[in-house]
Order: sequence, then C-alpha cells, then structure tokens
Amino acid sequence: MTSALELSGISKSFDGFRAIAAADLEVRSGEVHALLGENGAGKSSLMNIVAGLYAPDEGSIRVQGRPVRIAGPLDARRLGIGMVHQHYKLVKSFSALENILLANPKGGFARGRAAIDTALARLADRIGFTVDLTKPVGALSIAEQQRVEILKMLVGGARLLILDEPTAVLTDMEAERLLALLRHLASEGAAVILVTHKLGDVMRHADRLTVMRNGKTIATASPGTLNAGELTKLVVGTTTTECAVPAQNVGGPVLSLTGVSSGGNGRRETLSDVTMRICSGEIYGLAGVGGNGQTELAEILMGVVTTASGRITLEDAVDITDATPKTRRARGLAVIPADRHSYGLAGELSIADNYAIGDVYSGKYGGVLRMKSSAAQTAAGAAVAAHDVQGVRSLAHKAALLSGGNAQKLVIAREFAGAPRVILAHSPSRGLDVRAAAAVHARLRAARDGGAGILLISEDLDEILLLADRIGVMSSGRLVAEFAAPADRQAVGEAMVSHG
Amino acid sequence: MAEPLAALDAAPPAPSRQSSRMTVEIRQTSPAGQRILIRGAGLLIGLAISVAILAWAGVGLGNLANEFIYAIFSDSRSVASVLVQMAPLLIAGLAACVAFRVRFWNIGIEGQMIFGSIAATLVAITDFGPPALRLVVMLMAAALGGMGWIFVPVALKLKLGISEVVSTLLLNYVALNFLLHLLYGSWQDPKSSFPHSEQYDAIERLSPIGWENVTLALPLALLLALILWWALNISRFGFFTRFVHANPKMAKAIGIPVLGVTCAAALLSGALAGVAGFAISAGIEYRMTQSFFFGYGFSGILIAFLARNNPIGVIVVAFFVAILFVAGQSLQVFYQIPGAIVQLIQAIVVISVAAAEFFIRHRLKWTK
Repeated sequence: MTSALELSGISKSFDGFRAIAAADLEVRSGEVHALLGENGAGKSSLMNIVAGLYAPDEGSIRVQGRPVRIAGPLDARRLGIGMVHQHYKLVKSFSALENILLANPKGGFARGRAAIDTALARLADRIGFTVDLTKPVGALSIAEQQRVEILKMLVGGARLLILDEPTAVLTDMEAERLLALLRHLASEGAAVILVTHKLGDVMRHADRLTVMRNGKTIATASPGTLNAGELTKLVVGTTTTECAVPAQNVGGPVLSLTGVSSGGNGRRETLSDVTMRICSGEIYGLAGVGGNGQTELAEILMGVVTTASGRITLEDAVDITDATPKTRRARGLAVIPADRHSYGLAGELSIADNYAIGDVYSGKYGGVLRMKSSAAQTAAGAAVAAHDVQGVRSLAHKAALLSGGNAQKLVIAREFAGAPRVILAHSPSRGLDVRAAAAVHARLRAARDGGAGILLISEDLDEILLLADRIGVMSSGRLVAEFAAPADRQAVGEAMVSHG
Repeated sequence: MAEPLAALDAAPPAPSRQSSRMTVEIRQTSPAGQRILIRGAGLLIGLAISVAILAWAGVGLGNLANEFIYAIFSDSRSVASVLVQMAPLLIAGLAACVAFRVRFWNIGIEGQMIFGSIAATLVAITDFGPPALRLVVMLMAAALGGMGWIFVPVALKLKLGISEVVSTLLLNYVALNFLLHLLYGSWQDPKSSFPHSEQYDAIERLSPIGWENVTLALPLALLLALILWWALNISRFGFFTRFVHANPKMAKAIGIPVLGVTCAAALLSGALAGVAGFAISAGIEYRMTQSFFFGYGFSGILIAFLARNNPIGVIVVAFFVAILFVAGQSLQVFYQIPGAIVQLIQAIVVISVAAAEFFIRHRLKWTK
C-alpha cells in the first residue's frame, strides 16, 4: 500500500534554535497514527510543516507517493491535507457556516452556502453529529468549535486529517466520541494523525505511533507491542549528563499554600485546592503536562491573579494571600517567569532600566523625585558581568535584542540581586541550549544552598528529576502526587499522564 | 520652510514595471540615525503633498513662501501672534503627551478644555475668592474642571472596562452642548446678548508680559512643559510610566502600581487640558466663547504624536503648528482658502509620518 504521507529528513530551525532535526514519519491510509512526545518535542512544528504553515529547511515530503512542495495552507488543502490546530483557527464573530465558507470558498456567498449545505447533509450521516451553522462560533462550546474545525476539513475534502491535541480541552465523554469518529473516518480510508501526549488515548485508539523527542523522531511502533511503561520511557527519554546534587540543609517552610483555588467571578477554576509547602534550602519540583494549572499557580504566586479561596503564607506565617506584587517582592519573593517577554522583561526598554526596576523602591537608583540613571547603569553593568550576560553592546540597548538565554540571565541577575528567600522558577531553561540551561541550574542550586526555598515549575521531567529535592505532580489543576528524591522517573511520568 | 519646495523637485522617478518583485522584510533593528531619516522623509512627503494641494487651490509656491516665512518672521507682531497661538497648543499637546505615555487614549481634550474654561469662568463671574488670588483660583478651578471631566471615562474604564477612546470622544459632545446651554442661557453676555460670557475683569486676565500681545499664558505653558518633562523623564513616576507603556503585564508583576500610575497620568492629562481652556479664555479671548476649543483636541494629539510624547519636543512641534494656525488664518483672508485647510495639512502630515513608521519596522526589497 502506498503511504498517505511520507516525511523524510525534515529539519527546521527558528532563529538558531533547532526545533526539528531530521525527522521521519510515515502514515498510511486507513490508520489512526499517534504522534507522541513531550511539550517542545517538535510535534506541532512538524505538523505545521505538513499543513503548509512552515517551510522546512531540509527534507522531502511525499503525499500518496508523489514528492510535493507545500508552499502554504492552500497547497496543503489541494493535496487533501487538513489540520485542526491546538488553538482553533476560527473567526469568533463569524457563524460556523461563514467559517467553513472562508476556508473553502465556493465562489459567491449564496452559491457557497448551498454547496456547503449539501456537503454537510452528505456528511451528517457519516460523522453522526450536526452543528448549528448560524450561531457565531464564539457562542459555541469548545467541543462544538472543534466540530466546526473538523467539518471545515471534511468539506474541503481532506484525506489526511491532522488533529493537534484534540482531546486536551474535551471532557472524557466528548473525547471518547471524537476518537470513535476518527476511527470511523480512518475505516473509510482516511489517514488520521493524532498529536497527543495522552498515553491512554494512544493505547486504545491508535493503530501505530511515532514518538518524538528533542525534535527527532525516535521510534515508530504499534501500541500492542508496548506496555505503558515502555511507552513512557520512550517519550520522556533518559537523563542528561548533569548530575543531581541533593539538598544538605533543609529548614522550615518559606512558602506554604493551603487549599488554594483559582477562578471565581465567572472565570473557570483552573487550580483546585492546592496545598503544598516549600522549605528553605530545598528545590521543590512541580512536574506536569503543560496547561494543567501551572501558569495559574505561577500568576497567583506572582500576585497578578487573585485566589478564589485558600491561603498563601511566607516564612513566619506572614500572610501574602492578598498582598500586592510589591509587598511580596519586599518580603523576599523572586520570580523567574515562564515567558520572559511577557512577565519578565519590558523589551522596548533598556537593559539598565530592566535591571533597575527590580529594586527601584530601595532608593538605590534615586528617590521619588529624581532617578539616578548613572547608578542604575553602574549596578546593571556589574550584574551583567557577574551573570555573564552575553551580547550586551550597551546597557542602553533594548532588552528585546538579547537572545533567549541571555535575556533569562538578565532576569535572574535582577531577581537574585536582593538575596531572595523564596524563588519561583517557571520553566527557567525553556528554549535554552544545554550550556545555558546548566548555568541557570547552577544558579538555582547556589540559591538553594544559600538557604532560599525554590519552587521549580517545569514541563521538562528531566529538569525536575535533576534539580528537585521533592517532586509534586500537577494534573487538571490538582496536586495529584508527591515524591521524594531520588524519584522513580516512570512513576512520576505515569502520574503526569494517568490523571489527564 | 524651504523643504517642501526641495522635496517637490526631488520626487523619485516612477519604478519600472519590469519583472521585478517587491518583498517586505521585518527589520531586526533600526539605528537611531536611520529612524530620524525615515521620519524626516515622512514629514517632508507630508509637507510636499500639502504644498501640492495648496498650489492646486490657487496659492502659488511664491505666495506660500511669502505667507509661511516672510510674513511671519519679518515683523515682530506676526512672531508674537504665533507665540500667542502657541501657548494653548502647547498645553493641549502636553495633555495628550502625558496620557499617551501610559496608553490612555484621551480623545476628549476638547471636552476637558470646555470644562476647564467653564470652571474658570464660574470663578470669574461669581468673583470668587480674594481679587489678588483670583487668577490662581481660576487656574486651579480650570485644572479641577478638566480633571473632573476626564474622571468619568477613567472610572468607566476601570470599573466597567469601557474603552476610553469612545467615552472621551463622545463626552466632547456632551461638554459642547452643556457649554452652549450656558452661553445661550444664564451665562449669555448681558451687555451684547451675544452667546459668549461677559468679559473677564482686568484682574481675571493673564497679563501681558510687555512684548506685543504676548501674555503670561506663554510662560505658564513653558513652565508646565518643564514640570511635565521632570515628571515624565526625571522622576520615579516617569520611570514607572515607561514600564506601563512598554509592558503593563510585566510592570504589574514587578510591583509597579499600574492602576495608580495610569489613573494619575489620565487625571493629569485632563487637568492640563482644563488649563489649556483657561489659557485661551483668560489669555487670548478674555471671555468664554462658544468655539474657543475648536481644533485643539486634534492638534494636541498631533503635537504629542510628532513629539514622540516628549514634553520638550512638544514645545518645538507646538511652535510649528502655531505657525500653521496663523498662516492658515491669513490664507483664509487673502486667498479665500477654507479654514479647514489647516486641519487638512495637519492630517496629511500625521498620516505620512505615521506611515513612515512602517519603514522603521520593515524594509522593502526589490528582487528580480
């Protein structure tokens, strides 16, 4: 049988970062093929290449045995490739019909409407669901929006269907229904690629699977030949050469959360009843698949989002549940945020300004009436040298000009300047190369050995296992398991996915 | 202003329509010199288009040079009338500048000017407070009046998330109609029965500084520019506004009172607009008229934009816009050019400078 899709030697770099390195993938007609891997493994990037959103740097693509060049989404559609992205590509204020029409122009609105009505009538029996075509998409539920996306693909005549994390936002029942539908479409001869990190879905519904790690495709197999343990090991990989150094001197709690929940005021509850304690002199690693409440937890600790219930205290039971970010920082909280350019730095402003703002209230850089930019320059210059921030041509340069690793070093230089008691480090080595990541890890260990308590939130299990003295696992906004180091990698990995 | 003439002569040749293709690329960085050049080119193109329109409307190049350069700088009375015109423009520009620094889009400068002037006029009509301090009280009242009028959109934005662009803009019309209600009603000039307030007494006027008809309004405006320069460029408050402007999310997380900084800047903007109204009523017209504010809101925004929200830059730009105002008046008188031409020129200059920003972020490349 010819393959529906054959990728060989695909590579793609973004601004020097190699997201995909010589990846191979073969998908057959009539099968549900799972593409597995951790966040950042390159699954979505690889699929975006197939969907025509990215152009590969190297490698070849064959569709139904023919070598093709996919220059854009239109090309992909002509080749019968459809993709449901993780974040739906729908115009919220347009109706479902208009969205489908937008993706599949049939010449003229009335004619298009008629054509799509007939196409949908034909499809309805096969797919077993209908969608209200007249409502604006923004008024539909997430599951319904997903159906609009699927209809969009099918009306376009897609024979190769790619779904990126389709079950992540669905309830269990909705997910089962969706997976049954995908099986049904495959049985009719379509090729389905299911991008996911949920092992359960894969074991039950996939015919074959391909595992990606660090931008490489490392194995293709049938689920029947592997057990969950072997699969977990394939996905999370083996440890790196950096060595774990256990904590020596663990003291009393410096950060305690008691029954903390988020949401309220009509917002979804993304964090429910989290209770944890971080002690001085330890690194507490919070593992979990991305999107399970980690971001909300970080925002609550930073003080930019309010809690719905629960209490947060620092050392000596100082309550900071409702404290402003300013108060929290004054009491010794330092934050290395996940997205450096969102919470970490003001990219348009200078490196010196971005450094000085961290300790602006101390008066070190001038009083209320007069800022002393020379003092800020001097301090920033010393910190930049001490933390080995590279690529600083001038302290007056915009922080946005720094590369990822150096921007991170600047954030760390600022946050560690005040000898913090509690450090929240959220994915501190995301997007950094091995050497830069090791430097960040060394800083965290040094801070720990200096007596700070560190909450390390990371989706990278390797990083957690390497650094953490204790490990918590977060799933669906709950703390579902805790382990003491050295923890069993497999057990942690299973806790991460089994509750999803 | 010889630039427009030169720019006309130097119009680029039309590009050939061969097989070459134009692609747009994003610039990673743009050196300061290049940025100045690009913005300067945008300004020149805008002025060139304006000159072309004026020439088409019947004002020849020689006449333009005469009106804009010779007539204005040849005698001190014309220079003085530019400076008189400059004072309220400068203050309105500062009002826009401080609000834009925190991304509060105050489109309601005219409405706040109206309430500033109403508050000052109220003090003047009722002879409130000791005569020696009358002007100071009027000034304070004007600031409070403008601040009060912007308080409504500030509160609406904070409490209900209503866009200040819409609320400040629409409240201009409410303010205008309230002004007309007063001027056609209880505040109508009892002497002439014209729809403007009675003349301010001598102590209620900003006094001349002793050169032509320039009043204290100009030194007041310059002083305000210096104070605002200190507030935005020297003080810690100004340091905070830079972060609020660049990345409000980060500013909040790092402990800057984003809400407080934004409110303070917005209220200050309203207060300055109120003072701009006072500067016209007490410094130029010596009464509250029914259209004293007209055009200042837009001009203030334009001035702040061209000055890149820098109070010192506002002084320079306000001077040039004042020349445009004064020359526009003589074009109206001597060439029967409609008064709207001044607004037209302003708009063209803003559009061309704003469009030039595109070339700071992008570069065009011709590929064959």
